[in-house]
Amino acid sequence: MLKAVERRKGERANKVDPVPGQPVPTPYPFAKEPTFPVNVGPQPQGMPLHACMGLNSCAASDRYGSLLGGKPNACAGQGYCSTAVDHTCHVQNACRGQGGCGLYGTAEEMMNPGANECKSLGSCATPINAERFSTNGPNQGKSVWVRARKVFEQNWTEIRKELLAKQARGEIPKNQPLPATLGKPPASFANIGPSYLWISQDNNQRGNMTACGASGLSGAGGCS
Amino acid sequence: MPNPVMPLTKAEEQLVAELNKTKTRDWVLGRLKTDLQIAIEIELATIPIYLYTYYSIVRNATSGEDVDPVQTYANMAGAAIMSVSVEEMLHMSLGCNILHAMGVAPQLYKKAPGTYPTPLPHHNRKGPPGPDGKTEVRIPLAKLGFMQLWQFLLIEYPEQWDAPPQDENWDTIGQFYSYIRCLMSTKFITDADFQHGAAANAMQPYNYSPNNVDTVYPPGKFDPWKPAPPGPMPSWATKDKYPSGSDAALYLDSDDSHAGPTQLMTVSTRQKAFEAITTICDQGEGYPVPRVGPDEHDDYPAKNELSHYMKFLILQAHFVDYPKTKETLPKEPPRPQPQQPTMSDADLLASGMVIDFPDNPTSAGYPAEYRPFADFCSACFQYMLIMSETVYRVPPKEQRLFFNEGLHRSMIWILDKYARTIRNIPLANGKYMAPVFENIDLGPQRTSYLRFAVYAQEAAKRADEVAKSNPGLAGVMGNISYYAKLAIEGDRKLPDVARYWAT
Repeated sequence: MLKAVERRKGERANKVDPVPGQPVPTPYPFAKEPTFPVNVGPQPQGMPLHACMGLNSCAASDRYGSLLGGKPNACAGQGYCSTAVDHTCHVQNACRGQGGCGLYGTAEEMMNPGANECKSLGSCATPINAERFSTNGPNQGKSVWVRARKVFEQNWTEIRKELLAKQARGEIPKNQPLPATLGKPPASFANIGPSYLWISQDNNQRGNMTACGASGLSGAGGCS
Repeated sequence: MPNPVMPLTKAEEQLVAELNKTKTRDWVLGRLKTDLQIAIEIELATIPIYLYTYYSIVRNATSGEDVDPVQTYANMAGAAIMSVSVEEMLHMSLGCNILHAMGVAPQLYKKAPGTYPTPLPHHNRKGPPGPDGKTEVRIPLAKLGFMQLWQFLLIEYPEQWDAPPQDENWDTIGQFYSYIRCLMSTKFITDADFQHGAAANAMQPYNYSPNNVDTVYPPGKFDPWKPAPPGPMPSWATKDKYPSGSDAALYLDSDDSHAGPTQLMTVSTRQKAFEAITTICDQGEGYPVPRVGPDEHDDYPAKNELSHYMKFLILQAHFVDYPKTKETLPKEPPRPQPQQPTMSDADLLASGMVIDFPDNPTSAGYPAEYRPFADFCSACFQYMLIMSETVYRVPPKEQRLFFNEGLHRSMIWILDKYARTIRNIPLANGKYMAPVFENIDLGPQRTSYLRFAVYAQEAAKRADEVAKSNPGLAGVMGNISYYAKLAIEGDRKLPDVARYWAT
């Protein structure tokens, strides 16, 4: 949770701590969407974990996993949010393709969110909230999630080729669909990515994710 | 494209002629290597000073919808100081890369100032009169405030275009680098002198980024719920009149404010060494004066990044003390008008945006039960310096991973968070605990990780004990224990450098 500022000696006595995130947009725009799952559900066998919404390689490969019978995520590219081991900061990603991006990192890393090569070579927190922007490189000031989706679309042919090869080796079940064409991300988030408003359940669960940075501009609950 | 390297001034030309006439190659080469190591230590000395002040600032006290003027100032000051700090790390790395190219291993471990307040290495102890009329140059570890910003100005005081090169008792860092430029410009120094250390083993450009979320700030209120562009703004997000965080963000460093091909660059020729030094001087003090600037040599080419000196002077211009200050500033660049909102040391403390850090704390000066917390912080700082030295020993293919897991992780995830944690510990004198950045001894580099781990274990153990004896601090102690253990345990611990120092 975003901590209230600790009162220190000499601070303004009558100042009331503001409630972070208030006011929120009304009415809550994601009332028809499923609730953000804090924990990642069971994942399809052999499929890669990923950094965010719409970066999944198959049905049920999203945060809900198979808990809802593969729904609402029925296709590659349609998933709701990350399956990577959640982390809050630069170089804390556990594996390939699991780094978020934008807050810390180099221009090169920020051009490839969700497409890092390996453990510790990623950048920043997952999931990638819609408010997050790149601080370096050609994507500076622009959405990290939009960039991540574009990179994923560009890489999909190659990713699918690797997955088909794994399937041929028996590492992925034969009945696992691997469509050539990516589905669209959930409509409410299609062009923006997962809003922190949705992740935090209308600002009620700000601890559902944290992102580093002192400026207050991470768009998500801060960890410092 | 014009040569980005600043041409020699008349004073520099005179010194080069004198060196050519009176010195030998051995003398010049030896002096150059010695001065480059001193340059590295000058850059290094600034880092704990700036970080200490940075850590005194509370930046993300609230979200964007409730930012008041004091918070805005604190956030701007934090971004400015961090933007300078990362460039000081860059400058230290550039100095290291030049020295490495000359076949000398740069030394960082235990090379930061031993005590505070301190002059910078070989700094003239007498400077221009400050706000209090005093001329002694002794830079303290201190919280953000009007006087501390004056100390920052002393560090970054601009070189005037006709200033003499100096490598002893230097008045400005620019004059120190000016002397180095003169040594490099003599007939004795050639490209071959910069080809004794492989560029592939130097600190690589890909490790540096000019900005991060801590070098940016919003100049006022913003709507934290608006998504970042370029996607079309959803209708639910258009009702609030404030801009999104991404639209509000101001960036204090620029990715093109360098002279060479990249900000962090390797060196293999004399020209590249000149380019690296030009970047250092330009970003630090700027070239604010006629003949050598502002022109194509000043923040080339975009000219949208202020020098360190000007960043700090603008921060100072917000203070109520500024209009009537007696501090002596150089003629160039012109001093800015007083800035709004107006700030005071008392405002910053009363608002809680600046924490009341002690001046020049030492581990020995803290209560005995808290010393392990200060010592681990210093140990982490020293281990970071050891890891920086180690970069030059790591096989090139492994450097990116080592740098990420070693230096990025320790800076962002351990030192930064740890400093923000211990500042919640109240001291008996009404102040709050702060890092001390001492040159703590971790033994030889080869075995330093073992001793570093002992400091981490001791801090975690002491935190557990304090949590039991003082339940009011249990949360803070839990975080101390977490970050100390994070450095040495689990799959996100810092790398052990031992194998790189086997020979």
